Amino acid sequence: MKDFALMMIGAALVNNVILARFLGLCSFMGVTTRIDTAAGMGLATTFVITVSSMADWAVQHYLLDAYGLGFLRTVTFILVIASAVQFTEMTIKKVSPSLFQMLGIYLPLITTNCAVLGVALLLVEGRMSFIGATLFAFASSLGYSLVMIIFAGLRERLALAQVPRLFAGPPIGFIVASLLAMAFMGFSGISTG
Amino acid sequence: MSPDSHTVEGFARVVRIDAGVAWLEPEQTGGCGSCASAASCGAGSGSPGIGSVANRIAARRFPLDNPHGLMVGERVVIGVDERSLLKASLTAYAIPLVTALTAGGITEGMFGSDLVTMAAMASGLGLGLLAARIAARQLARRGDLAPRFLRRAGGSRGFDATICETMRSSESPAPSATTCRPQRVTP
Repeated sequence: MKDFALMMIGAALVNNVILARFLGLCSFMGVTTRIDTAAGMGLATTFVITVSSMADWAVQHYLLDAYGLGFLRTVTFILVIASAVQFTEMTIKKVSPSLFQMLGIYLPLITTNCAVLGVALLLVEGRMSFIGATLFAFASSLGYSLVMIIFAGLRERLALAQVPRLFAGPPIGFIVASLLAMAFMGFSGISTG
Repeated sequence: MSPDSHTVEGFARVVRIDAGVAWLEPEQTGGCGSCASAASCGAGSGSPGIGSVANRIAARRFPLDNPHGLMVGERVVIGVDERSLLKASLTAYAIPLVTALTAGGITEGMFGSDLVTMAAMASGLGLGLLAARIAARQLARRGDLAPRFLRRAGGSRGFDATICETMRSSESPAPSATTCRPQRVTP
């Protein structure tokens, strides 16, 4: 239990998907103009990363490893992720058409989010058990959502600040992102301390 | 600024009118479809075909009561409560994940087998989706998920002529965007 807890803290904070591994930067800059949209995108991505990681683990162990097809890993994982997104979209539509109308816009964007593929490939490198891999994926995506929401909050405040004209918009966004990344570097003390 | 700071606004276009009900199609305002290369990659809002953004948006048409006399082709600003979006996200994604992880954790503790844990998590996911369906019905019954009409927007195509003007007002949602104000041309 303690091992799982440490692994999850490490995945969410110390080796954060966005700020330490630099994955999912497109949605990090693109969907963080408001906290509510960032939270929606974060939760949708959390769901897809967790579900696709479960499927990826099964495919890796019972298909790719079993038949020596490791060289097809990336292509197969992309297919699994696209299927997971489609599955999610169809399920949300079936569960509640109203929810689908409200949330459906985020789902197509997740297919092209490299964080989903990145986490799946990290799982394979980690050689984890099924529950370990799923918890790692869940924690990584929680870290992703956390950073998205924090950054969206900062950008909402930035929109009210008087920023010099040359720095307005994306430039000040990148500067804030770099400061946030440095702040998250403080969590690396957890692993050494 | 929006009139109500707790409302998330979006643009939609009226595509059909049925006996007091207007069917609206949301506009793609951000992300993949708005990229500069959208036209060449098939994600552009006008591109047809399975899986295209145009198809996805068509699938997201929704009805809205029409006491305001909306006409086909009109652009309107619709809004949903900021909390509704969060509630909807939590209902759709958090409930199934929590049930799946709980089922997986309990099974792993009891049996310690990957296959059994996998089956338990899949079952937990299914149960969570059922629970999400029930919760979503309750939200829909309370009207929490329904978008509401806020005001008419520029850019209508259903009129005889349009006069376009560049709005640089701070009240505009997109200050530098060129918008069209619909005006009837009398013969």
